Amino acid sequence: MSDKIDLYGADWCPDCHRSRELLDSLSIEYNYFDIDSSDELKNKMLQISGGKNVIPTIVLTDGQILQEPSNPELLKALNLNPEEYKQDKAEKEIRDLVIVGAGPAALSAAVYTTRERIDTVILEKGVIGGMAAVTDLIDNYPGFEEGISGLDLSDKLEKQAERFGAKVEFNEVTGLKLNPNKTKEISLVDGSKLVARSVLIATGSDYKKVGVPGEAEYVSKGVHYCATCDGAFYRDKNIAVIGGGNSAIQETIFLTRFASHIDLIVRSSVKASDVLVEKINEFVAQGKITIHLTTVPLSFNGDGKMINSISLENTVSHEKKTMPIDGIFVFVGLNPNTKFLQGTNVKLDNRGFVEVDSNLETAIEGVFAAGDVRSGSTMQIASAVGEGATAALKIREYLEK
Amino acid sequence: MLKGVTIFTTNTCAYCQMVKKYLNIKGVSYEEVNLDENPHRRSEAMEISGALTVPVTVVTKKDDTREIIVGYNLSKLAPALV
Ligand SMILES: Cc1cc2nc3c(=O)[nH]c(=O)nc-3n(C[C@H](O)[C@H](O)[C@H](O)COP(=O)(O)OP(=O)(O)OC[C@H]3O[C@@H](n4cnc5c(N)ncnc54)[C@H](O)[C@@H]3O)c2cc1C
Repeated sequence: MSDKIDLYGADWCPDCHRSRELLDSLSIEYNYFDIDSSDELKNKMLQISGGKNVIPTIVLTDGQILQEPSNPELLKALNLNPEEYKQDKAEKEIRDLVIVGAGPAALSAAVYTTRERIDTVILEKGVIGGMAAVTDLIDNYPGFEEGISGLDLSDKLEKQAERFGAKVEFNEVTGLKLNPNKTKEISLVDGSKLVARSVLIATGSDYKKVGVPGEAEYVSKGVHYCATCDGAFYRDKNIAVIGGGNSAIQETIFLTRFASHIDLIVRSSVKASDVLVEKINEFVAQGKITIHLTTVPLSFNGDGKMINSISLENTVSHEKKTMPIDGIFVFVGLNPNTKFLQGTNVKLDNRGFVEVDSNLETAIEGVFAAGDVRSGSTMQIASAVGEGATAALKIREYLEK
Repeated sequence: MLKGVTIFTTNTCAYCQMVKKYLNIKGVSYEEVNLDENPHRRSEAMEISGALTVPVTVVTKKDDTREIIVGYNLSKLAPALV
């Protein structure tokens, strides 16, 4: 028996903060041991936990040892009724900030908010790093003189945010509602709900489909939207790329690593930066890429299992043809991820992007938006990261009000 | 209970990293078949999944039944691991 609870934890550990907040809110005294402060404390923790590197490790006054307990588990061990606690804690369960998405805009914002100890929840339905994570090479993000792979940049962003205690939860947001007391209720796909004082929408965008017969039927079976994911299956094969913007050209260049020949199908003309156009022209000169201007796909055809040809039409001459092909990569633009905002008071523009004021605040007070999802955004990682930082600072101001 | 987990991956695939991250969080050990390093196993991944994509996660249960998860799909991966 000892007279005080011992809590072994670390400043970067969100579950430790949660347990400490719970004890604080109950005015229960405890000794806090930061295991990062000395090897001796770390070893002591390992001794208590039976060699397990788990924090928080909590030793109660009666000698009970709890490892990473949930709040109800900790309450139960303290002989308190979690149900009663839940009711009078309803007020406290309100989080400061929920960030929807974990792309560059979100992670940048999280670096700022978690560093300032703003209680932050990040929710991600897909990949940490967002669109940036699935991009092959990022050549224009400041600070990396040789460029950096999308995967590496995402990893760095994530680790930096984690260093200050940010933690990404894997969940999809399906709804947002303003409560009469101005808090926001966030609905999740698993049926649960969160309540927060402020929300940052950083949900970016998703690939658009071309909408021709065969496209949906052959997804991943010859029809692809992610070159870094699926390009490797097309070593020494003939493929077609649909699109003529920056992303399409960049991904076509990446795919030359694998494919023996690429037919680039462009609806009107190539609309990409000079650097990319120069690069692609080199491949055209080598005979590795053929560009088909003013051409649109009519259908993607296959044998029931895999794609084997593509039908095209020239929009000027109206000439139609069908070419044998092993695979098709589609990069025809992006749709904003704002379905969950339909029917809310958040204003969307006619393409579905979120409208904000100069503080990046939406039509709902305390709900902000940053990055590709914002109406008028420049669709660049550097911009998304900048907007994430701006939003975080504006959110801090809002929370201080 | 699980007998084993195998993931087919490539070097550049972000969704593969997410599957690995998830398995690590859950403390599930796995064998990784990197198709950039083992191109001869590409057809194996295609046969198992019926698709030309990674990640492909193969979960083998105690009774030797297999569950195949194509892509990064937590709603299928999570229940397959129990
Ligand atoms: C092929 C390609 C190449 C590119 N190349 C470059 C380049 O070279 N340089 C450059 O600067 N930019 C480039 N970009 C653009 C860049 O990727 C984006 O500008 C950037 O990723 C935007 O960041 P974001 O955080 O706003 O959104 P995103 O990166 O799109 O992240 C949004 C995240 O939110 C998640 N999400 C969406 N809805 C929900 C929901 N309801 N619940 C939970 N989570 C949700 C998504 O899964 C995603 O992870 C490229 C884009 C593409 C497609």
